[in-house]
Amino acid sequence: MTSAFSLIHSKPGRTFDTALSWLLFAAGVGIYLYVAQARHAENPEERVTPTVTQMVNGFTDAALKPAEDDEATLPENASVFRRFPASMLWKDTKATSRRFFYSMLLLIPAVLLGLHMGLFPYVRVFFLRFILFFDKIVALSLLPILFIAFGIDELSKVMLIVIGVTPTIILDTFNLARGIPPEQVTKAFTLGAGDFDVAYRVVLKQLMPNVLNSIRLNLKAVMLFLFAGEMIASTDGLAYRIALLRRHMGMEIIIPYVLWVALLLFLVDLSMRVINRKLHPWFREA
Amino acid sequence: MLRAFILCLLLSVSAFGQKPTFTVGWSIYAGWTPYHYLNKSGILRKWADKYNITIKVQRFDYAPSLDAFVAKNIDACTMTNMEALDMPAASGVPTTAIIVGDYSNGNDAVLVRNGLTLGGLAGKKMLLVQKTVSEYLFDRAMTINNLRAQIKSVQMVNTSDSDIATAFLSDTSASAVVTWKPLVSQILKQKGITSLFNSSQIPGEILDLTVVRTDILNRPDGSGQRFAKALTGAWYELMGLMSGPGADKVLASIGEGSSDTLASYKEQLSTTKMFYKAQEAAAFGESADLKTKMELVRQFCFTHNLLGNNTKSVDDVAIRYPDGSVQGKTNQVRLQFDTSWMQMAAKGTL
Repeated sequence: MTSAFSLIHSKPGRTFDTALSWLLFAAGVGIYLYVAQARHAENPEERVTPTVTQMVNGFTDAALKPAEDDEATLPENASVFRRFPASMLWKDTKATSRRFFYSMLLLIPAVLLGLHMGLFPYVRVFFLRFILFFDKIVALSLLPILFIAFGIDELSKVMLIVIGVTPTIILDTFNLARGIPPEQVTKAFTLGAGDFDVAYRVVLKQLMPNVLNSIRLNLKAVMLFLFAGEMIASTDGLAYRIALLRRHMGMEIIIPYVLWVALLLFLVDLSMRVINRKLHPWFREA
Repeated sequence: MLRAFILCLLLSVSAFGQKPTFTVGWSIYAGWTPYHYLNKSGILRKWADKYNITIKVQRFDYAPSLDAFVAKNIDACTMTNMEALDMPAASGVPTTAIIVGDYSNGNDAVLVRNGLTLGGLAGKKMLLVQKTVSEYLFDRAMTINNLRAQIKSVQMVNTSDSDIATAFLSDTSASAVVTWKPLVSQILKQKGITSLFNSSQIPGEILDLTVVRTDILNRPDGSGQRFAKALTGAWYELMGLMSGPGADKVLASIGEGSSDTLASYKEQLSTTKMFYKAQEAAAFGESADLKTKMELVRQFCFTHNLLGNNTKSVDDVAIRYPDGSVQGKTNQVRLQFDTSWMQMAAKGTL
């Protein structure tokens, strides 16, 4: 009996474990359904809380039909596999993913900069103060300047993400690099390594898993900036569609879109976790 | 102690019962900023006291004000005829327009760089807030000039109104912009930008209304009717002040509501056809002209999917006019133009 009261040492059973972990999901869905049902009973044309059927219909349309500003080029009876690549959802996902991918690529130089700042005193002196300052700048409030510098096309959206997220990644890598025991660096030198051997083959190698984790934690920030950029000025993308649909309360598509984005982000996060484990099997999360 | 508490509770309940409270939401626009002054000057309080109700006034950004109205968080709201149709009415919130305040008479405009013409816009980049009166204005401009077929080939960039002026001015690859005042005035100051089309060429199509939820007006205790009366009475008292002698002082004070100087507010009013007299407003609300214009607007809303994906026919969101005629299905009336309060104001019976 006493062991039952030892909460820290408790071991929930497998079934109970699973049930417990889904409880909040069930509660969320349940509350939504209840509210939606009540609102629809009061007003059958209600649009703020669509029913599940409406959302399923909305999402099927989004995934199978072209956006309204595009011409329908496929015959009515085309197969799902041919219709999906011509659909509104695919078009928006492609546009957003492209921007997302470019901004992820731009995080690579950020990691390298952080590494060099952590190891080379001159680089550190040159950059650190400025980046500490730059990190505190709220990028969104500088939009007009971004427009002048980068136009209103793709570049300004990617730059918004870069300005918003890279300082965090740089500083995080910098801190991680500073945390490498100096004995290791000295040891590497005594074994005949050069400066860059130490940087890339001793320090970077050890940092990588942590850096990947820090990028994973910043995925949401990347997406937030990307959404802000797409809502401000764009012709396609997931957030562009949401901004348009908001004009007439198209919640039956907005809610599935938001869940779709969540799913995509979850998949990116998952694949980064898997890659991290494959690349660095020796790594143990602290 | 307990008795004091119960007494308190009873008092507050009865006080609540005595004085119903209503909230009006407004957003910054030449024809709506008067609400700022109505609230500040005490005119609205005077009328609310007369009808034994309490009226609260709250400023919003435009889109959130529509959301709040649809969600039934506020009882009355300022909006255009197009949004009244495609937001509350199409979301199944029956809505009644009680004041036709003004129409845009040049406030909204299509501006271009380098002397382009409407015919030359195909393939060019154009910034606008899509699915709003801006797109409607552009649609009408192209239709009137027999260029409808080219609308699809204009590359529209959906741009937030908070950034559209700087975005257009700083990015020279954008050839055209559709927006409204005071942004229009700000953009036109730049060299080489000309106006191709503005809302004075489609007078009376972009209306600025004060709307109330129909279920409020139909409240059995009649408090909703009193609310409409108080609001209309206060509105036309202010309209009298705005157009009467010594108006500048009032106008300057209204302009403060949108951080505008007197000169800039007057400039905006010069392209706004205000109905200063209740008589004029009621006459416009009852004219056959209104029906023709609303027909254009509702067809635009339907073809642009603004009435919702589940709305299969334009007639599903019907409009009723003061003479009782209905555009659409008579059992699906969602938007009404009711001039009775403007009539009362005109006759001085409020």
